[in-house]
Amino acid sequence: MSKFNFPFISETKELSNLRKEVRKFISEALINKEFEPAADGWVFSANPNFSKKLGSKGWLGMSFPKKYGGNEKTTLERYIVTEELLASGAPVAAHWIADRQSGSQILRYGTEEQKQSIIPKITSGECFFAIGMSEPDSGSDLASVKTKATKTDDGWILEGRKIWSTGAHLSNYMIVLARTSPASEKNRHEGLSQFLVDLSLPNIGIKGIPDMSGQRHFNETLFDKVKLPKDALLGREGKGWEQVVGELALERSGPERFLSHFCLLENFINQFRHVLVKSGSQLIGRLIAELQTLRRMSFSVASMLQNGESPETQAAFVKELGNRFEKMMIESLREFSNIIPLYEWPKQLQNLFEDATLRIPSNSLRGGTTEIMRGIIARQLGLR
Amino acid sequence: MNEEIQIILETTEKVLQKNINHQLRQNIDQKNDDLINVWNEVEEIGLPKIVVKEKFDGFNLEFASVLPIIQLSNSLGAPIPLSETILCNYILSECDINPPEGMITFANVAKNIKISGNELSGELISVPYLNLTDKIMFITKIDGVEKVVFLQNSNLDIEQKKNFLAEPRFNVNLKNNNIIEIKTLNPKINFNYLGAILRSAQMIGSMEKILNLSIDYCSQRKQFGRPLSKFQAIQHQISEMAVELSASSAALSTIASSEDLSKNIYDIAILKIRTGIAAGKIIAISHQVHGAIGFTKEYELAYFTKNLNSWRNDFGNESYWEEFLGKDFLENSNKNLWEYLTY
Repeated sequence: MSKFNFPFISETKELSNLRKEVRKFISEALINKEFEPAADGWVFSANPNFSKKLGSKGWLGMSFPKKYGGNEKTTLERYIVTEELLASGAPVAAHWIADRQSGSQILRYGTEEQKQSIIPKITSGECFFAIGMSEPDSGSDLASVKTKATKTDDGWILEGRKIWSTGAHLSNYMIVLARTSPASEKNRHEGLSQFLVDLSLPNIGIKGIPDMSGQRHFNETLFDKVKLPKDALLGREGKGWEQVVGELALERSGPERFLSHFCLLENFINQFRHVLVKSGSQLIGRLIAELQTLRRMSFSVASMLQNGESPETQAAFVKELGNRFEKMMIESLREFSNIIPLYEWPKQLQNLFEDATLRIPSNSLRGGTTEIMRGIIARQLGLR
Repeated sequence: MNEEIQIILETTEKVLQKNINHQLRQNIDQKNDDLINVWNEVEEIGLPKIVVKEKFDGFNLEFASVLPIIQLSNSLGAPIPLSETILCNYILSECDINPPEGMITFANVAKNIKISGNELSGELISVPYLNLTDKIMFITKIDGVEKVVFLQNSNLDIEQKKNFLAEPRFNVNLKNNNIIEIKTLNPKINFNYLGAILRSAQMIGSMEKILNLSIDYCSQRKQFGRPLSKFQAIQHQISEMAVELSASSAALSTIASSEDLSKNIYDIAILKIRTGIAAGKIIAISHQVHGAIGFTKEYELAYFTKNLNSWRNDFGNESYWEEFLGKDFLENSNKNLWEYLTY
């Protein structure tokens, strides 16, 4: 049952000091009006200048080796930085995917040349990534992707479509999962490969898809016989599935799975503390218990990643619980409006609440649906 | 986990596995010789005094460090007051009272307690396992000072409660009963906090067992021509049980690695809330996936779910601790929420 264990990891003095440092940096940025706190900032608020500033502080790709511009910090240190950024609703969307998963993926599977040419730009906050997994006909069933890469004398030809790629229109690269040989009858996970695709290449069309709130963050990307150089292949040909599974553990276990709307909760409490003291302490106590447990679980996964373990299942636990917590939290605030009607909430709080309400359906879809998470857990339990 | 605990865990597992079967749980509200035999085996390996000081012949371990042992013994469903005895003996030892041999139990609630000389009157509510032991420990306030009272009497005026709960419970009417020992409570001991931790660890052990029972049952039981476990609807429900269990275990691991429990009130509240929530969901889902068989006395699921129902209400239910935690933040701290969470 070790897959269900989340050993307690305490925050050391050094980590607490780092936390203070990041907090100071953020409060200065707020005073200088560099950003307006926003819900789901890691998806919706891209601010390349802010990303660059974080890069110059050494807070992007901070666990990467120094020879590629990294800081050789631990994943626990990275965890602290990301928590502080998320809790404050900072505009971190531009670099988020590069920092969270693409950089690690390149370091793990890339060639020396790929590392040297890309990683330093990730750590300086000048190179952004999008995820190229889903397709119009392949959502949860990722292994069914049809995007195809065909080997040529001097590289590859990439053909197909990727969809729901957040920030592709602002990104320099996309890591594309494509078929390089047909699936074998026994194992359809075979024959997939990952490609590092430079989005400035010819014959790539990126088209925005407005979400239900009318905002653009995700995209459909068309690869119309795109010529890729030989070294666009990331890792080993045919081993794309195994590589993608590891990437998903990075994607699913982080604090964005439960802190995406934290700035709404904080703002709400600051506004109505005097009312909550009388009639909301039980609700707030419940939220604290859930949130603190999630923080510990996610921090514990960060420590497993640091130790080189593969916590795919634990990541699914965190994502599933985190998604559920956020939905419950927003629902609880809505119910509170029978005490103070919504129209009497300050404008900024109303906006945060309405944004959250519009965005929350996506939290249990992106990065793997609830059903996929439960399927992963069921497999671990020996039910599948 | 240190080696010493690891060895105790292995021995405990061996002894309990050898001695516990569901037949033993059929008449647990009676004075039951089979259960006393199990107890004797447990006592032989020293478990009742693992958290007792050396001067009282104990192992002198930390209370937090033996939580995995409490968890394990409850996942094996031993219907004896082992968890209760470990806690009582710990409290007695910390208050400089030599813990007695054999089983001892505690009163969750002591009402209208009056002491004159060496004589005691009042009411003890919902005391577990008085069918097996006549020793009771409870905490009460006398003239504003918290006292620990140790009582032993084979002629107590007791009233058995309806067997709603898995472990038997009794109310006690005290009328001029003799006290064996009374001492001022060691200020580092908070019975309500320790009780909340104890019950949470017991619940987590029980939930592990419930999850395993559900997996085994659904893998064996066939309907519509295939095992229940092959239905996605069932898989997803059982996954939810695992998610709830993992969150509770994470909350327990925070406490188990704590050096000074008295400073961890906040984490104790979180543990009892999170475990109570999980228990509610796990009771409902496990019975749902088991169907009618889980609703019988003959099958062992209900022994464990009844215990959960009982323990989630002991030492403060979820609402109690949520209120406590919410007030601690909203009223007693002048921090914003993020500062409070990251203290």
